[in-house]
Amino acid sequence: MTLDEMERMMDSCVRCSKCKFLPGIMVRSKEFSSICPSIDRFDFHAYSGGGRVIMANALHKGRLEFTEEMLDILYKCTNCGACEVVCKFFYELEPNEIIHELKVAAVEAGVGPMPNHKKFIEQVESVHNPYGEPTDKRSSWLTDDIELDENSDTIFFAGCTASYRREEIASASVRVLNAAKEGFKMLGPDEYCCGSPVYRVGDKKRALEIMKDNVEKFKAQGVKRIITSCSGCYNMLKVEYPRFVETDFEVVHTSQLMESLISEGRLKLTNEVPLKVTYHDPCHLGRMAEPYEPWEGELVEVLTLVFMADPPKPIRRGANGVYDAPRNVLKQIPGIELVEMERIREYAYCCGAGAGVKAQYPDFALWTSGKRIDEAESTGASALVSTCPFCSTNFTDQLKEREEPMEFYDLTELVLKSIGGSE
Amino acid sequence: MLDDTVYDALKQIVGSDNISKEPAILDGYAWQWCNEVENTLKGKDPSRFGQRPDAVLLPCSTEEVQAIVELCNSHDVKYKALSTGQGAWAGVTTERAIQIDLRRMNRILKIDPDNMYAVIEPYVTNAQLQSELIKYGLIHNAQGGGPQTSPLASHTSFVGPSFTSAHTGYSGRNLLGAEWIVPTGEVLQVGSFDHTGEWFTGDGPGFSLRGVFRGAYGAYGGLGVFTKCAIRLFTLPLPKGWEWKMTGTIPDHEWNLPEYWKMYVLNFPDWEKFEDAFYEVNDHNVSMMAMASSAEGLASMFTNTKNGALDAIFAGLLMHTKRYFVVMLTAHTEREFNYRTKLIQAIMVKHDGEELIEKGIVTPMPMHYAEGLRNSLGNHAFRFTSCFQSTHGGLDTIAMSVKICQINLPIKQKYIEKRVIGDDRGEGMWITGYEGGHLAHAEIPTVYDPASPESCRGYAYYQDECNKADIEQALGIPFFIVGDDVHDYYGPNVMNYQNWLRKIKAAFDPNEASDPGHYVSAKK
Repeated sequence: MTLDEMERMMDSCVRCSKCKFLPGIMVRSKEFSSICPSIDRFDFHAYSGGGRVIMANALHKGRLEFTEEMLDILYKCTNCGACEVVCKFFYELEPNEIIHELKVAAVEAGVGPMPNHKKFIEQVESVHNPYGEPTDKRSSWLTDDIELDENSDTIFFAGCTASYRREEIASASVRVLNAAKEGFKMLGPDEYCCGSPVYRVGDKKRALEIMKDNVEKFKAQGVKRIITSCSGCYNMLKVEYPRFVETDFEVVHTSQLMESLISEGRLKLTNEVPLKVTYHDPCHLGRMAEPYEPWEGELVEVLTLVFMADPPKPIRRGANGVYDAPRNVLKQIPGIELVEMERIREYAYCCGAGAGVKAQYPDFALWTSGKRIDEAESTGASALVSTCPFCSTNFTDQLKEREEPMEFYDLTELVLKSIGGSE
Repeated sequence: MLDDTVYDALKQIVGSDNISKEPAILDGYAWQWCNEVENTLKGKDPSRFGQRPDAVLLPCSTEEVQAIVELCNSHDVKYKALSTGQGAWAGVTTERAIQIDLRRMNRILKIDPDNMYAVIEPYVTNAQLQSELIKYGLIHNAQGGGPQTSPLASHTSFVGPSFTSAHTGYSGRNLLGAEWIVPTGEVLQVGSFDHTGEWFTGDGPGFSLRGVFRGAYGAYGGLGVFTKCAIRLFTLPLPKGWEWKMTGTIPDHEWNLPEYWKMYVLNFPDWEKFEDAFYEVNDHNVSMMAMASSAEGLASMFTNTKNGALDAIFAGLLMHTKRYFVVMLTAHTEREFNYRTKLIQAIMVKHDGEELIEKGIVTPMPMHYAEGLRNSLGNHAFRFTSCFQSTHGGLDTIAMSVKICQINLPIKQKYIEKRVIGDDRGEGMWITGYEGGHLAHAEIPTVYDPASPESCRGYAYYQDECNKADIEQALGIPFFIVGDDVHDYYGPNVMNYQNWLRKIKAAFDPNEASDPGHYVSAKK
């Protein structure tokens, strides 16, 4: 949808500020009652979901033109989607979609994205990863003892961050797959960026090209199933790709696969991992992982001015993210005690890294991860667990700056410990 | 526009990170719900964009707010403070005006469980405060604006009945003390704060200026700025060791409903029996919640989606509900609960009522009890078109509330027939009792389409007609009474109170620096 098509939604914002907080009934303490890192950090209303909707509407109506400061406000949003979950508790508005479309409009107007975004987009184009690392080093974490099945129609898609920055997650993932005798192959240097960093900063045109290229490659390789331990890649491949390109492959996150493998008895969690942990729901595996369900129908005016979709239109509220699989895995690891934070599942507080924030505004990204770790520490847990290499990067960067920091693990690492694979 | 020297002086007060004149930021304050109504009534396009402030500031202390106010007074600049700020009255109304966003002043300064009061800053929200109060078995009156809105704003400057008004009254009645930066910049601590160092009662033994700075309906931010306030708290029956737990996934959550809590929907054959029963229930002072609405209101309150509400309406609520009210009983002990239950049942039988939950006509989920407590049930009405607003809003007797509903019905039906407001058969209304007796508040929520200029205009004209009915039918003063024109319209019918408002404004705000647009102008 374009901003023009979103005008009705934008005109409907009542500036209620619900987008800044958890829904009222979810609030258990003042300290952890907010939901949007951007408004928490920068305070002016424009930094909230609703504020950016107003900004988009004002631009659309010709009241505003892009300025440097406006772009700064726009891109200090991780597009985590929390504002939209809360908004949809009461309204038929999609602030996160509107914010993304405003980023698309900024790129189309030639003023966006931000300088560091342009740099990583160039690197995605030249070496197929946003970090500018050499293509032939993409699988350098892959050791000889890992068994690949070149005849498999399943690939393990490590993603750029796990390949170049959080190799321990990629490594743990494939070791767990090997332990369960789950056959897979890898694309190696032919694994290209999924397009997430390009898409999330509004460069939709280039992101679509990347999607098309990747889908062609998957077809050529006969890929029928993609396993990934990256929430960002999962989100792109599972949720965004089908909106724009035809896909005929299944996408599975390692947390989902491990849950199945454990229940099938193919993964034996035997070793004690004595840890009190809390789990962080990555936005892209949680509320943002709910697929867009296509809908065709008509709006019927059932009462004056009150319309009902016929057939009922699925509402993407964030209810159907991947929430239970990682928790179910954690609960089955001997010795693990899972304690929950106050803001979880569809109401999880973002780690602060997404949508180009980590690249362009690293201090803000760290500030946000600090807030989330404060919440994690308040549970009494000694370790924070998540399922996203990008969250992992932002959390570990934050933890390096803290005295007596809690530990951080990707879920795959704990499973690997429990199956004895890390010994 | 502000000249650079004034802007720079303001920047000196709050620091460069906490002031902006960037249009993209300013428009976040120019856009307000109900501007479309005000713009229409001023003969403009029904846009939600109102006056854009010249600058926005984010002070973090009383001292900073005071310095801003003093500077505005000395440089002919108007100011308007807001907290969460939902509604046209939160914005500035004139050129050369700045917006003071109190978001950084968000501390709960004190919870005194023994003396049952709390001291808060402007940006503490209802949900935040309640989440902390519940740990002490206490609640405050969280106005119907919702859990994300500011209790300080409501207690000091507005009228705030709520879903728990039967137990907690309304916000304006619960203000015990305030730190008030008067329009010229002096700081006054009113209520007993000034006398004892404690915020205990708004009427003394120190100065009480509640009648001056807020009166019955509040000054809507047009008479200075409030930077702290003390508010009255109320008991909340909860089992020992109980903690708030909400589980499940949006939109259907599960709440750990405390023991001895139960909701009833008491349905009566006509207004007369409804009124008698409503008087009795309120008079006995046994309920946490006692409020009435329409079938459409019942459908929206006890469902979690628009489709759910519409399904409930068409599944038979229109047929089964006549004149009902919802009671939520809460009790500390089984004996107290049994007594209250028997009392409610006796009142129901005495007035030929029936109970709709037991009959399976309506089924509140435990999360709806929690939403009642947190005051988000009223926000469900936004689900129909993403917009509604209320007319009337008198704080008077139960009989007057019923009269408002009856008189409004044909007015509303006329505009429904014009297809400019949502169809609730003209029945949509909300009444809550308060202060355990014959008192009640009635408002008429009405949905309209915020994206349709025709509907916005239609709602505005409907609101105007409702306001006229308040005068012509002596229904009391509506709660959204703002600005010179409206006060001048009502005043001559109500002992020319507007003259007194203007005297207050002139005495406390000689430079008229505190934006009078949604209060009253002394100079008029």
